[in-house]
Formats: sequence, structure tokens, C-alpha cells
Amino acid sequence: MIEDLFAAPVIIGILTSGMRLATPYLFAGLGETFSQRSGVLNLGVEGQMLVGAYAGFFVALVTENPWLGLATAALVGALMGLAMAFVSVNLQAQQGISGIGFFLFGLGISELLFQKMVGTVETVSGFRPVHIPVLSELPVVGEVLFQHNVLVYTAFLLVPISWFVLNKTNIGLNVRAVGENPHAADSLGVSVERTRYVTVTMGGLLSGIAGASLSIALLNVFQQNLTNGIGFIAVALVYFGGWRPFGLLAGALLFSLVNSLQVWVQTLGIPIASEFAVMMPYVLTIVVLALAGQRVRAPSALTVPFERGG
Amino acid sequence: MKKMYRHLGWVVGAALILAACQSATTEAPPADQPPDQPAEPAGPFRIAVVAPSPTNDLAFTQSMFDAVSAIQSERGDDAIEIAFSEGMFVVDDAAAALRDYATEGFDLVIAHGSQYGSSLQEIAPDFPDTSFAWGTTVDTFGLDNIYAYEARSEEGGYVNGVVAAQMSDSGILGVVGPIETGDAKLYVDGFVAGAQSANPDVEVNVNWIGSFSDVALASEAAQTHINAGADVLTGTAQMVVGAVGVAEENGVLWFGTQANQSSLAPSIVAANQVYDWTVVLDPMIDSILAGNLGGESFAITLANGGLNIEFNPEVAVSGDATAAADDAYDGIVAGTIDPLASTGAAYCEPIRVAVVMPSPINDLAFSQSMYDGLAAIQDECGDDVFEFAFSESMFVVDDAAAALRDYALEGYNLVIAHGSQYGSSLQEIAPDFPDTSFAWGTTVDTFGMDNVYAYEARSEEGGYVNGVIAAGMSDSGVIGVVGPIETGDAKLYVDGFVLGAQSVDPSIEVNVNWIGSFSDVALASEAAQTHINAGADVLTGTAQMVVGAIGVAEEDGVLWFGTQANQTSLAPDIVVANQVYDWTVVLKQIIGNFHAGDLGGESFALTLGNGGLNIEYNSGVDVPADVRSLADDAVQAIGDGSITVDMGG
Repeated sequence: MIEDLFAAPVIIGILTSGMRLATPYLFAGLGETFSQRSGVLNLGVEGQMLVGAYAGFFVALVTENPWLGLATAALVGALMGLAMAFVSVNLQAQQGISGIGFFLFGLGISELLFQKMVGTVETVSGFRPVHIPVLSELPVVGEVLFQHNVLVYTAFLLVPISWFVLNKTNIGLNVRAVGENPHAADSLGVSVERTRYVTVTMGGLLSGIAGASLSIALLNVFQQNLTNGIGFIAVALVYFGGWRPFGLLAGALLFSLVNSLQVWVQTLGIPIASEFAVMMPYVLTIVVLALAGQRVRAPSALTVPFERGG
Repeated sequence: MKKMYRHLGWVVGAALILAACQSATTEAPPADQPPDQPAEPAGPFRIAVVAPSPTNDLAFTQSMFDAVSAIQSERGDDAIEIAFSEGMFVVDDAAAALRDYATEGFDLVIAHGSQYGSSLQEIAPDFPDTSFAWGTTVDTFGLDNIYAYEARSEEGGYVNGVVAAQMSDSGILGVVGPIETGDAKLYVDGFVAGAQSANPDVEVNVNWIGSFSDVALASEAAQTHINAGADVLTGTAQMVVGAVGVAEENGVLWFGTQANQSSLAPSIVAANQVYDWTVVLDPMIDSILAGNLGGESFAITLANGGLNIEFNPEVAVSGDATAAADDAYDGIVAGTIDPLASTGAAYCEPIRVAVVMPSPINDLAFSQSMYDGLAAIQDECGDDVFEFAFSESMFVVDDAAAALRDYALEGYNLVIAHGSQYGSSLQEIAPDFPDTSFAWGTTVDTFGMDNVYAYEARSEEGGYVNGVIAAGMSDSGVIGVVGPIETGDAKLYVDGFVLGAQSVDPSIEVNVNWIGSFSDVALASEAAQTHINAGADVLTGTAQMVVGAIGVAEEDGVLWFGTQANQTSLAPDIVVANQVYDWTVVLKQIIGNFHAGDLGGESFALTLGNGGLNIEYNSGVDVPADVRSLADDAVQAIGDGSITVDMGG
């Protein structure tokens, strides 16, 4: 029974499935990382994902071109991000509450538009898996890493890119400064408002793509509440990852791999109660967080609106 | 800077509110103009028609379009002006159109669709000088500016049925109906009666596809009839073009109604009941010109020439059949034959029903099946008799509890809690409203309260049959199940499925995966992929998250068995069969009991035996004959009780 888990095809299955499941968390989480590093908490990620998922799905359905769908999802997500930026930076609203407001808006409008404009559940022809030449032929590794759709590759590539931007570029420096000590940054000529606008809009754009990665790549379908909480978990994973891209990657992979593991456990008939198996990803993530010990501080100005002069 | 934005926000908000108020007031009805002398119209008589489908649908709408055009040719273009709004299947759009036409001063505004009734009832009183006509119905709402009109389509249906039964070699007839209501129901009931009068042993299979416009489904229904042995088909509403096409491909005879459909398939359309609405429009127009704006109902019948049977000369009809048709025709006209052995429906009395559901009404699963059931009853009884409200996507139980309580407070007669998770909330709420009837599913528990009904689906029955077919069609001997949470309806289905599979092949491997959620589509797709990786070549599952699993199944060419609703449309190449819930079987009993004075205390179930559960096959996927007969035997045996699907503990 348990030994079945260690068969090669099973391990490959778990790893491959984990990579797929991690993709939306990565997109949404990276966007949120930038946003939070600059000091803005965006709880509306789930709403942005839903709107992106629907927009991408609808455009791909109508134009039969998933790239147009992806572009629309990104655009729509960015617009919602822009709105969140306006609300957080200019109107200086309570970020937690306004984020929830955006979530509810995104949930409602995606449902409404879906019912009015599509009506019944339909499938769309989205991004198909693309085998990377040569690399996908490698034993084990080929199947696990190099036979995914374009958005999976992009999500994983974005992790080192994000790390690089955040830690090795001026833009990243500004973002971090604005999140740690906005007044100091402001006095040195960095526009706090503009930086936050950029990160939050970017976050929205990535959340929109996260939604599209579900509706026009992984699942090729749209349904009400398709994302089912992924956005909120992504926000939690940002905390888990210590506001660092590679930390986020670790969290997303831990969560997703344990999820695929529990699916296999059930499929192989290993006698673990299904309720317990389903709990495993969440419980394990909390346990690892508690044991990891590393106290990484949140950006000091997180959730604090900036007002020049104090 | 910040303050300015805040002020700006308030100003914009205030401006929006003011603008909204403005537009609201400008929408008040226009002041009355001095009434025209209707007896002496200054210009042409202006007729406007609002219809639900296109004017070239060779059915319902076309018949009215042809009629008003004929009136115009007959009376002259300068005497009659026509405006026609087609394709108004959204009732709100139609209501707007009706109101616009009345505002623009049309003399006669025709609402050509029984679904427009409630809208018309609101609009007509605002325009006392405009004449309205509504069909197909006899109800004028007691208003003196509404005419009602209908087609006694059961008459021509009866004649068609007589000829069809005579011309069938196999003795099996197929009917493709839209929704079991109004004009369509009359036609089909008449057809069945006529066929049975000509041949008491004839088998008439009726399929209500649930839509007036789903051409694809109509063609599937026709194919299913043919597969079941029908060599003569009929149907009504604009979707029949799909059925006629399939009939032609298979050389099967077709009988049309509403319009002459011979041109669609000249080699197989035998006869048509053709509507001539001018028989109704002429007296109506004359009546309006004489000053009567409504309060009367008209009908087209065989006797008054509004209905005509037109044979297609290209299809040979035997002498016997023609003679029988003539006899039927004469009998109906003379009144000696009544095409309808009418049965009054005990559940079609005024009632207000509310339902709370955990997922969207288009989830192709649990909630959709209940919504469809209620909508079907509403179509049958009419929405002036049967009113229902629904709250969907109530997956948070507290929200659902609030909704249940609100509906009871608003005076709904029957409040349905469609979800076993709502039980504890209902147990608290029901005692507070002793005069309201509650229904809870899926369960058998009425809490011992006399105002709570319980209902369930014995989904293990169809699960068993699905399992039988699945085991018969699996090459690898491995089957995968993607379940939500191991409880209620889902657990019953899966347990039955496993038993059914094992009854065919005791060594078959059925792997079950409970993903822990009714809605996590992503996890469902991963579970399906995992099953396939583990060797499964057949999958099944239940709850609304299965769309994810079906998608994966389709990609990998793996077969799928559906439940709760017909999921063929999601993946027409791999869905083999579906256990479809028909909640009307349970709803009709509950509502009938309610009208008889019982508010609860009983439980009902959907079963294969009572027709609440039906196995619907996808004609696009072949099931081997021996497997199919095993399945049919299982359905039979479960239905008559010789097999009970033993759920054990």
C-alpha cells in the first residue's frame, strides 16, 4: 500500500501535478509580494483572479485565440489593480476592508457576466502543453518539468525574475524602501505614490493572469467561483514566504505537492480517511511555518497609507 | 491633495444619484392624448408584434409573421402598417418592446408568446386606448383591452397521430418536444391520443428537451428516438429543424406542426398542421375598428379553418391512412372526437415557492437539476399560478439560513432548502413558521415536524447502472471516481457505482478520491489526472466541480459517466451515459400534498422506478450491445424491485 507511493510513475505524477497546481499561486503570490513589499496589502486578489479568469475565458471563447484571452485577462486585472491603487493611495482607505470589497466585486461581476453572456458551462480551447525540445525527453525530469503549458513555465520563471528585480535593480530598491520607510524614501526623491501605483497595478495584472491560467490553460472552463479561495491562500503564502519570491515558491510548492500527494494517497486506496487527507496541505503548511523559526519581519509600512508630513 | 480627491468623490457620487433620480422621473408614462375615434382611423391600422424566435423559424413565430403579412396583402399596404420584433426570447426585452410599441401609438400590439403574460398584465393597464393581444392562451386577465388567442393544436396533433400510427412499420413513434407547456403540450397530447386511437399497441416515446431553441439537443433527441426503434417522428417549436435533419438522414418520416415544414426535407415530411392566424386576426382587427379593444378570446381550430392539415405530395400516404385522417378530421370538426382526455393537474394551483441552493443554477449538476424541475412545473402550470424565487450559490450555510428565514417571513408557501448542509438551520427555522411548508433535501429526515417534507435521490440506483456499463466498457480494468465530500447524495452515488461495477466484474479496480470540496475545480482535474496516471480508462464523479474532471477525461480520451444532470454537452466524444435527476417527480407530490392541506411530515424519493431518475445515453458514443442489455436489465430489475442496491452500513 504505502510502498506504492514510491513507485516511479507515482512520484512523477505527484511532482508534475504539484507544478500545475502551484502555477496560479505563483502568479498571484508574486504580484502580492511586490504589492506588500511596497506597503500595500491587497486582499482583493481573489476577485482580480476571478475577473481575469472570466475575461480570459470569454475572449478566448469568442475569438478562439487564447493569447488574446490572456492579454485581456492581464488588462482587466491591471485595471482592477489600478482601482485598488487609487483606493489605497489616494483615498487612503483601510486596505484590508477595501480588498475584501474588491473581492466581492470581482466574484459578483464575473458571475453576472458569465450568466448573462455565456449562460451554460462551456469548454474553451486554451493553452495546450508545450514540450520543450530535447529537455522534455529527459527521463523523469523531462516529464515533471518540461511538458507543461506556457503559463506554467512563465510562472516558475517569474520567480527568479522577481527576485532579481526586487533585490538587484533600482526599481526593486525603491519598492523595498517605500515599504520599509516611506518617509525616508520620499525625502530622497522617490515617489511613494507612484511606486505603489506601479506595484499594485502590477499585482492586479499578475492576478488576472493567475485567473487566466486556470480558465484558459489548466482547466479550459469557467464556472462561478472557479478560483475557490486560491487568491486568499496566495496572500497567506506571501506571509509564509517571508515576503520573498523564493520563499513564496517554497510555500506554493509545499502546499501544492502535499495536495497532489493526498490525491494519490486516496487513489491508491491507502487507508487514510479522506477528510484527513484533504486537511494535510493546510495543516502541514501551518506546521512548517511554526517550526521554521525564522522571524522575517513584515515591511514596516505594510497597510499604512502614506501622508507626506506625517 | 487627498482632501480634494475625497470631496471629488462625494461630488461625483451625488451627481450620479441625482442623474439617476432624473432619469427615473422622466420615465413616467406620457400624458394621455385625446382618444382617437377608433371607428374612423386617420391613417393605416398599425399592428406591432413581439415574438420569441426568428420570423423564418418555420414554426411558431413564422406562422404569426406570415399571417400579419397576409393581412397586409389582403387589406392593402396603405391600410395596414406592420412592425415586428423577432427573437425576443428574453422576456424583459420583450416587455420593453411591448411598452415601446404602445407608447408609439400602435393600434394593436401582439405579445406572441405565453411567457409574455405577466409583463403584459403590467403594461396593458397603462395604455387603455391601445388594444393588446396575447397568445397562446385564453386568459385576458379580465382587462378590456386585451384579446387572447390560442391554437387548439391538439386537433391537428390528433390527425397527425392517426396518420403516423398507420404509417409506422415498427409501431414506435418518437416525439421531440420543447418544454411541456402551452401549445406544445396540447399538440403532443393530441398526437399521442390520435396515434393510440389508430393503433392501441403503438408506443409513443416523448422527449421534452427543455428548450425551444436548442437545435443540437433536438437532433440528439431525434437520434435517440431512432435508436430506440422509432420510424416516425414529430415535434414542435423552432428547434425541430435539428430533429428533421436527423429524420431525413435516417429515412424516417416526419410530421410537422405550426408551419408547413415540407421544404426542410421533401422526401420524408408526410403532413403538417399549419397555423393560419388570419382566422383570428381578421375578426380581432374588425372588432378593434368597431371600438372593442379586448376582453375576448379567439382560437384557431380545424373547424374554423385556422388549422389546416397539409399533406406533402412527394410522400406517398396509403389509402387507409388518408381515410383514417379524414375520419379523424370530420370527427373533430363535428365534435364527436375529443382529442384531449384531459387530466387536470392536481399541483397546478396557485402557490409561491422559494428555493435556496448551494451552487449556481447552471452548474450542470445538483442545483441546476432542482432549478430545471421548478421551471418545468412553472411552464406547465403557468407563471401566474406557479411563482418561484430562488437563491443560488448559497454555499455559506449562515447566508442560506438567512435566506430561508426571509422567504418564510415574506409569506412563501413552500420553502425548499436544497442541500443537506442546511439541515440544522432548517430545524431551528421551521418551528417559527408553522403555516409555512418546508422541504429539505437530500435526506429522509423530517425532524418529526409536521411542516417539513424531506426528499432525496436514490442516486445509488443510477450509480449502479452507470457502474455496470462502466465495468463493461473498461479495457484496463481500472475505473476512477472523483467525489466531493463523502456524504449524502454523493456517497450514495459512489457506493452504488462501485457495487454495479463489481456485479459485472468482481475483480475490477475502482479507485475513489474524495477531494474534500464541492467546488474545487482545479483539484478535481488533478484527481482525474491522477486516476488516469494510475491506469483508469473510465471515470465518473458527482457535484459541480466535475467540470474539471470531465475536461481532463476529454483530453485523454477517457470515458465519463455523469450524474445529477446530462453532462454530454461538456464532452460529446467521451460522455457515455448520465443519471439525470428529474425533481418534478418529487416536487409534484409535495405541491399536490400542500394543496391538499398537508404541510409536511413525509419523505419522497427519486428512483429509477418512478421516473425521477433516468439514464440518458449519449448517442455519440457506442455502447456494446451486450453491455447495453446488462444495463437495461439492471434498470428494469431495480425499477421493479427485484434488485435492491444494498448500501449496507
